[in-house]
Amino acid sequence: MSYAYLFKYIIIGDTGVGKSCLLLQFTDKRFQPVHDLTIGVEFGARMITIDGKQIKLQIWDTAGQEAFRSITRSYYRGAAGALLVYDITRRETFNHLTTWLEDARQHSNSNMVIMLIGNKSDLDSRREVKKEEGEAFAREHGLVFMETSARTAANVEEAFINTAKEIYEKIQEGVFDINNEANGIKIGQQHSPTNPSLPGSGGAAGAANSGCC
Amino acid sequence: MEFLKSGIKTVLGGTEPGQQPSAAETVEKLVDRVYSSTLLEDRRDACRALKALSRKYRIEVGAQGMPPLVQVLQNDGQDTEIISYALDTLCNIVTSEEFDEEADNPTVSVNVGGQFTEMFIKTPENVTMVMGYLDEYDFRVRRAAIQLITSLISNKTRELQDLVLVSPMGVSKLMDLLTDSREVIRNDVLLLLIELTKGNSNIQKIVAFENAFDRLFDIIREEGCSDGGIVVEDCLILLLNLLKNNSSNQQFFKEGSYIQRLAPMFVLAEEVEEAGWSPQKMSNFHCLLQVVRALVTPSNQHQVVTACQRVMQKSKLLNALCEILMSSGVPADILTETINAVAEVIRGDRENQHELSRVMAPSNPPRPVIVVLLMSMINEKQLLALRCAVLYCFECYLYRNADVQRTVVQTLLPSSATDVSSLSTGQLLCTGLFSSDALANWFSSVAIMHTLVENVALKEELLRVLLAPTGGQRPNTLLEMCTNLMQRERTRLQSKIGLLMLLSVWLAHCPGAVKALLETQGTTVYLTAQLCSNEHDEREFLFQGMCAFLMGLCIQFNDNSLPNQRREDISQLIIKRIGQETFCNKLGEVSRHEAYSRACKQAQIRAKSAGELLLDYEYCKLYKGLEALIAKLVSGFDVDGIELTELTLSSEASALVSQYKGIIRGMDAQIQTLQQSAKELGQENAELKEKLSAEQSLRAQISDQNTLLKAQLGATGQTPVQSQETSLAREEELNAARYQANMYFAENIRLNKEIEILRQQLATEKQRADASQESLLATQKDQEDLLELLADQELKLASYEHKTTAPKSTENQNQTHAETASEEGIPSETANR
Repeated sequence: MSYAYLFKYIIIGDTGVGKSCLLLQFTDKRFQPVHDLTIGVEFGARMITIDGKQIKLQIWDTAGQEAFRSITRSYYRGAAGALLVYDITRRETFNHLTTWLEDARQHSNSNMVIMLIGNKSDLDSRREVKKEEGEAFAREHGLVFMETSARTAANVEEAFINTAKEIYEKIQEGVFDINNEANGIKIGQQHSPTNPSLPGSGGAAGAANSGCC
Repeated sequence: MEFLKSGIKTVLGGTEPGQQPSAAETVEKLVDRVYSSTLLEDRRDACRALKALSRKYRIEVGAQGMPPLVQVLQNDGQDTEIISYALDTLCNIVTSEEFDEEADNPTVSVNVGGQFTEMFIKTPENVTMVMGYLDEYDFRVRRAAIQLITSLISNKTRELQDLVLVSPMGVSKLMDLLTDSREVIRNDVLLLLIELTKGNSNIQKIVAFENAFDRLFDIIREEGCSDGGIVVEDCLILLLNLLKNNSSNQQFFKEGSYIQRLAPMFVLAEEVEEAGWSPQKMSNFHCLLQVVRALVTPSNQHQVVTACQRVMQKSKLLNALCEILMSSGVPADILTETINAVAEVIRGDRENQHELSRVMAPSNPPRPVIVVLLMSMINEKQLLALRCAVLYCFECYLYRNADVQRTVVQTLLPSSATDVSSLSTGQLLCTGLFSSDALANWFSSVAIMHTLVENVALKEELLRVLLAPTGGQRPNTLLEMCTNLMQRERTRLQSKIGLLMLLSVWLAHCPGAVKALLETQGTTVYLTAQLCSNEHDEREFLFQGMCAFLMGLCIQFNDNSLPNQRREDISQLIIKRIGQETFCNKLGEVSRHEAYSRACKQAQIRAKSAGELLLDYEYCKLYKGLEALIAKLVSGFDVDGIELTELTLSSEASALVSQYKGIIRGMDAQIQTLQQSAKELGQENAELKEKLSAEQSLRAQISDQNTLLKAQLGATGQTPVQSQETSLAREEELNAARYQANMYFAENIRLNKEIEILRQQLATEKQRADASQESLLATQKDQEDLLELLADQELKLASYEHKTTAPKSTENQNQTHAETASEEGIPSETANR
């Protein structure tokens, strides 16, 4: 299927916070309650529409366990977006966010859009991290924040799509160098330069268009 | 060589004439120089010399030279020349390939490169350091580093893979090198990545994540696709490494629409047919087919296979593969692999299976491609691999598709034999089944067997097949023919095994076929005889085991409709003639045979030689499922033929059981409906009760109101008749009045008390008033006294004045003044009092 853009995402965060479930909910619209440890990295994909444009999301779901950390680090560089996930019912997963963020900032390209996700919002009775705390952390570190539930699918679509919107805006502003595929963005064949008045995106898109046809 | 020697001589400063230094000595001197020389030029020359020696005297250079070379890498990073010498030398030392120069050197063992690799990577920092030199843009350094890492990986794959994984951005850095504009570097990196991605799914995934598929397809296109050189083959091998057994990458490949980029490569240009196939093109094409198969091989995740099969059909890849099947001049090796690829692309996918059935071969008259393929299968002169591939393709064509199975069986049935001119699949299979070629028998038996897999209806149908005999006798059924063929002395073992598999699958879950087999003359006797015989050939064991399995099926799926051939009868036969233990032992022979484990491994039929073709994947699946059951069934009969365990139920018994189950189910349903109605009734009851109580409370309310009204009437005194109720009301009123009276009484007492208190207060106030009155009177009296006194005084004063007025007026005046003053002082005193 043709697309205007292709974005690469990674999902990171402690083990058991529901990264794989978020991905499964987003790609397959189903929930698997049994915790199945991710080994290394798993792949998933889906098409979305933003601003009337088809955008393909390729998502790499990483293992949260410490043992796989050196492997998952290899994925930061080539990603355009990252979902940093914690579990609202386990405070320690929230406490580890700083480490994750440092790791991500160190290894990724500086324009990577990071979305902070507090998952398992359906388990409000066991909540250990207040929504306000998540909001405060996001504000402090310049992230977008959202609470989701992979079980009920609440906000799952929004989380992935809002991240894509943010990336899309950055492209329109000419922040991303879309010709460098190492940034996790690819231009599809369907693409036509939407905003030629913008010097950054207009020129780059035109060049890429002639290159891929 | 002479030049080299002179070079060494100049480096070492010459040796004494007549005495050639040994290699070890020379190396020692060079090593010493690399270590100790302060001049970069000297160290560089020594390194160059070591590099030159390292091919011929690998052991000497490796044993002594490694530490100084590592030291050079650590300290002389700014000089690209010395670094490239050091890296090249290390590369020569650790490589696993043997140099021509050392061919006559007996001390070089096969694995010397491996041992030096082990030494080198014992310090993991060494590898990190070499990885660091990949950043160096200088051609010689970068290339030498790439080659050294490649050699290290190919010797110690696992260890190096782990080291690269933990080195920060290790894989990503290597992937960046693929975009190096210098082709030599790019091609060397391809070789490196091929080694690096072997059997490590984590690295495979990272490489794929770093846009490997895009890079590789770009290179393949630049190099001319399948007509390109060895670089294309390298790209395809790397692609294969990335996809094999890696479902995440397979999914990524599919999602990234790379199958669509693969498809055009299978379209053969017109001129290929004339130009023929170069060896390189054959290699490239072989790899391409392998890539397709890596995506749809049956051992992959089911959903990945299905998704890829869909895309392969839509992107016309399957179509292109079918075209290759039909084009002329395709080398047999490529044709075989193409058939295997087609097999896996259509396996279990209805649309793809039907697409293949529609493909027609350009023969005269045009025949379906399936028929043409089957012709090759039963053709003795064809290559074994090709025949195996055709059978595999036919199996995949039938797999999980009852429609196709039915179509094939239809061609065997008498009704379809009207069109004699065209060859049908059924005719071909029968020809193969009864041909003199044992392999054709085997292939055909297995092919027919696959039309019956998991399809009981067709098993019944196939019983109707009649085959016209050659010599005008009565026509035989296919089943009879098969049994007779199996029992014939002349039939070779391979054919017998094929027929046994066909019969076993036919009989399983089909009592009609069991009955037909038992009706065939001599079958039971033949099977019993086989089980009693004591052959020692390994293949005989397998055959006996399979006979035991067939006999077991005759018990398991027997509907007891034949007298003397019922379950008990056959069991008795086993007990008396063979023995239960022996039977079970023989039954187990099948799974003990190596052909069994080989066939179980994969659906594809692989055989290096014709003799290896014995068991089939689907047969093994059936055997696996029923072996334990049959063993239990047979050992469960006692000598009198009575079943000891309830698990071993005949189909009749199980029919009975299922009948009972049906009854129970019916009763269960009945109970459920009754329970439901009971529940409903209970609910209704509760509702009614509720209503009743509501009514009752309403009634009570009304009667209360009634009473009240009556009471009101009574109170107004207009009720002539005093009912009991009104008197009661009166009493109540009386009580209220009494209560009120009591209240007033209490109030009265309280008020009286208050009056008393007030009275007392009044008395005290009066007393106080009296006292003040008294004191007032006393004061008034005093005042009067004083006024009297004053009047007296005035009187006296007047008299005195009168007496003194005339003579002493002035004096008197003064005196008066003084007296007035004194007089005035008295009333003021009185007031003070």
